[in-house]
Amino acid sequence: MKIQQALKMAYKSILGNKGRSALTMLGIIIGIASVMTIVSTVSGMNKKTMEMYEAMGSNKVTVSASLYDGRDVFKDLYDYCLKLGDYVEGVTPNSSFSATVVYGAKNSANMEQAYYGESDPSRPAEMPPTLYFGSDQYGVCNNLTIAKGREISFLDVEQYAQVCVLGAQTAEIFFNYADPVGQIMQVNGMPYTVIGVYAPRGEGDNFSYMDNLMVFPYTTSRTLSPGQTSFSEFSVKARSASAAVEATSRITGFLSGFITEQNGWFWVENQNQYQQSNNEYTTMLSLVLGGIAAISLLVGGIGIMNIMLVTVTERTREIGIRRAIGAQRSSIVAQFLIEAAMLCGIGGIVGILVGTAGSVILSTILIQITVYPPTWVTAAAFALSVALGLLFGSYPAVKAAKLQPVEALRAE
Amino acid sequence: MLIELQNVYKIYGEGLESEVRALDGVSLQVDRGEFVAVVGASGSGKSTMMNVLGCLDIPTYGEYYLDGVDVKELTDRQLSHIRNRQIGFIFQGFNLIPALTAQENVELPLIYQGVSASRRKELAREALERVGLGNRGGHRPSEMSGGQQQRVAIARAISVRPPIIMADEPTGALDSHTGREVLGFLQQLNREGSTVILITHDNGIAATARRVVRLSDGKIVEDRAQEVDWL
Repeated sequence: MKIQQALKMAYKSILGNKGRSALTMLGIIIGIASVMTIVSTVSGMNKKTMEMYEAMGSNKVTVSASLYDGRDVFKDLYDYCLKLGDYVEGVTPNSSFSATVVYGAKNSANMEQAYYGESDPSRPAEMPPTLYFGSDQYGVCNNLTIAKGREISFLDVEQYAQVCVLGAQTAEIFFNYADPVGQIMQVNGMPYTVIGVYAPRGEGDNFSYMDNLMVFPYTTSRTLSPGQTSFSEFSVKARSASAAVEATSRITGFLSGFITEQNGWFWVENQNQYQQSNNEYTTMLSLVLGGIAAISLLVGGIGIMNIMLVTVTERTREIGIRRAIGAQRSSIVAQFLIEAAMLCGIGGIVGILVGTAGSVILSTILIQITVYPPTWVTAAAFALSVALGLLFGSYPAVKAAKLQPVEALRAE
Repeated sequence: MLIELQNVYKIYGEGLESEVRALDGVSLQVDRGEFVAVVGASGSGKSTMMNVLGCLDIPTYGEYYLDGVDVKELTDRQLSHIRNRQIGFIFQGFNLIPALTAQENVELPLIYQGVSASRRKELAREALERVGLGNRGGHRPSEMSGGQQQRVAIARAISVRPPIIMADEPTGALDSHTGREVLGFLQQLNREGSTVILITHDNGIAATARRVVRLSDGKIVEDRAQEVDWL
């Protein structure tokens, strides 16, 4: 018997029992749809967090260190990192501080009040920028590149230069679309010259808060943040993922050489670890959720088996007739297998459509981006549903073929 | 010899108290081109005989040679092949598949033979025309009378042009007029060279066969040639 003929036969039999076929498919539809929705939403979530980590700067080592007597750690760390040139691309303090920034009518203190206080919902408040002390390597360490003007220089740091570099968002807030480079802003009442603007870090609106920052040479802290004698937060940019691992252990060794539990504290963390553990977390999440959804698929599959068994019993006489007029056992097996596979295949296609809609809706609600299931998920879902049909159809099919023609013919 | 049964037994529940000997040492020879009526009361073993002769069932003991081949030695696959090509079945209950049209029912044995779609359609239409249903091919069995359904069943049996036709009470579900029509077809097929084996409990129907084999309690009690009522 030709496969084309068998397909036609299966199709007819499915159509001949529309109501029952639809109910049977429902199990597969729900199973496939939920597996697809979960897998693609989780993978979309993972992609989004990964993008965020990328934008924040990968291969980044975060160092926190402080001595109780207030002595500066950065100078030593900076010198040590210079020696680690093979592994380290840059090092900078990464300390935020607060100050009032004024340019023309724009005042960061007012913004703060409007943003964190009660704001007029019809006019979204502007977010005040975050201010950082950084070295000449602040941009490198934080994955920022200069769009206009220049980066803070080593000389700026050495000479306590009253200069600053703006994030893309900050430039827009204070200067609209005018060129900020060369303009003078008042920071705590002191004049600071804008020397550069960073390029936007993220795409779209998602990352704008990461572009709302101002960076000052860390040496200006003696006037901008009087009383602050040292920094405790630093970023080290490694040259590669493996260099980050090496740098992490070397810096840990270096710091433990002069910071003990008695005189201070420190910790060194490889940001790649976050990415890794995030990866592990989402993999686990998709396994657990996917597993739960797979159970519904299993239930759907058993439903298929059940219905196929009923079909075999119901059609015993038909099987007898077919055997009497010369159908081989293999033809009977093929007939029922193809019928089950087709039932599941159609259920799978409907499930894929529902699952695609589900992923789009769920991802829009959960993570505010539209995730379409990847092609491999769609293909795998279809293959899975057909495989389920073959798996759960095989027992009823073999049972049908095992019937003796005489006995089958005797059935009513 | 086309068909040869040698001391064939078919025993159900052997060794039990309730043991039933449906065939109890039957020997029979049928030559090519014969028209044999197997007659017997209900429970005489005639349906079992037809199942054995039609390769639907295997004897418990004894030999069955079909065209010189020992059926016992054949695999299920080979038996299916014989049923498909050598034997055309006509049943009392018609045994058409209700979901398929008349044309599709007639095509079924050809499908299992692997005949191409276009050739299949042609052969099926020919067979339907022979039984006078050339214009009813698109109808389902439920849309036809009993006589028409049995004619579809005959068309299905002859569509592969098998050398043997086996009819089990083919008129049992029909009124006497359509019954005679069906028997007429069988006689015609026989005249054209088919070997026909007709199973019946009705002596009147057995009168259409040139040879009558009478079964009682699984044994052959009579085997005689006779003059025929040509229909």
